[in-house]
Amino acid sequence: MTRRVISVFAIVITAVLLQSTVFAQLRLLGVRPELLFLVTIVLALLEGPNEGAVVGFVSGLAQDMFLDQPKGITALTLTLVGYGVGMARQYIVSPSPLMPTIVVAIATALGMAFYEVVAFLLGSFDLPVTEAVRIALLTAAYNAVLTPILYPLLRRIVEGSRPRRVVHF
Amino acid sequence: MVARSGPRNTRLLVVGLVALSLAIITLDYRQGQSGPLAAMGRGAQAFMAPLQQGVTSATRPVGDFFSGLAHLPSLERENQDLKDQLAALQTKVAAGTQRDAQLQQLLDLLALKNSLDPETVPAVVIANGLSNFHYTITIDKGSDDGVQMCQPVVTGDPSSPRLVGQVVAVTPISSEVRLLIDRDFSVAGQLASSGETGLVVGEGGDQDLSMLNVPPGTTFPEGDAPEYVFTVSYEIEGQHGRYPPGLLIGQVSSVHESSNALETDVAVKPAVDFSALEFVLVLKTNASEGCA
Repeated sequence: MTRRVISVFAIVITAVLLQSTVFAQLRLLGVRPELLFLVTIVLALLEGPNEGAVVGFVSGLAQDMFLDQPKGITALTLTLVGYGVGMARQYIVSPSPLMPTIVVAIATALGMAFYEVVAFLLGSFDLPVTEAVRIALLTAAYNAVLTPILYPLLRRIVEGSRPRRVVHF
Repeated sequence: MVARSGPRNTRLLVVGLVALSLAIITLDYRQGQSGPLAAMGRGAQAFMAPLQQGVTSATRPVGDFFSGLAHLPSLERENQDLKDQLAALQTKVAAGTQRDAQLQQLLDLLALKNSLDPETVPAVVIANGLSNFHYTITIDKGSDDGVQMCQPVVTGDPSSPRLVGQVVAVTPISSEVRLLIDRDFSVAGQLASSGETGLVVGEGGDQDLSMLNVPPGTTFPEGDAPEYVFTVSYEIEGQHGRYPPGLLIGQVSSVHESSNALETDVAVKPAVDFSALEFVLVLKTNASEGCA
């Protein structure tokens, strides 16, 4: 369990670090990826709604600590994204290797839209609708492009830190 | 990390986390910069600053390479434009030397020199903001070096500074700077040739800044002659502006005026290339007085 907690924290800190340094310069049409969305969605896909919600909350809160706006909006968003993706995975039966990419793209776009609406209601978001939609779609596309690279890596880390199960007969 | 449990427990967990998120939003919204969550944020930023500094210094060449690739098509044209501008500026500099000497004498006479040339703190950009909606950078100097909230941040050299932004969060070892291009940024600006003033606001991302409240009928230089926008000093009911006058904000990129408009729409291209920003100077003004 301790190993699992350390793994998740290491993933979250690495994602924050990469997003604020390396990916700040690697922008796609002015937009950078949302690595913490990607981490939450992939872990929810692999581990289900419980872990998806908890990882989403932790990731979101970590990102909120670095944003100049009311803290908690990203935590709320990613909790729901993690839970939603975790619940949705039971309905996903496709064995296609593209499945994680498609789920990441859709969940990122929906999550970004939800985040924008909540931030707008709190008065800390005043982008025109077209610009908000453009950013949500481009971020989703960027996350989708990164998924084939990061999904196997995250799966290996998660499976490596999963508690060993002992079966008694 | 979380023990496997039934749907009911999962729903309870999610409801609990959502309620906790809402409580955090409410608490932070009400308490702002003085609350415990803001303090936690500063702690997290201070924790991450050395890590960000290490990663940035290790990966900057790679980032610069890709950033350079993205800008390649426009670099050749920009190079020619810069050569033309340099030739024009060299002529102007020669003519301006005498005026500079006179200005210096007047500033000394008015004892304004110290207020216009505040002490500076050089800093390195160690990270960018995480958000796709806000434009901030993190620098490696904080309150231990005398950086305070709302102090202006510039680049270039102290004799010809270009405005970068404003300090919006400070930890002992790092600070967060809101960039000129952020939508929450605004600064009073003055057109160099006409002297008209207006409010320059960020529009986010790669878009030019907007200069608001410029009166209709304002004259702009003819042809390709550039028009620059500088910060301007002002005083309203005893409150001084946060920025010293004379910081270059940018160059006018387009002007639109309709016959029945109450103001002229002016777009301003920032003087700073934010994608290649590595070093900045924090001006140690007394900007934190009355700072939100």
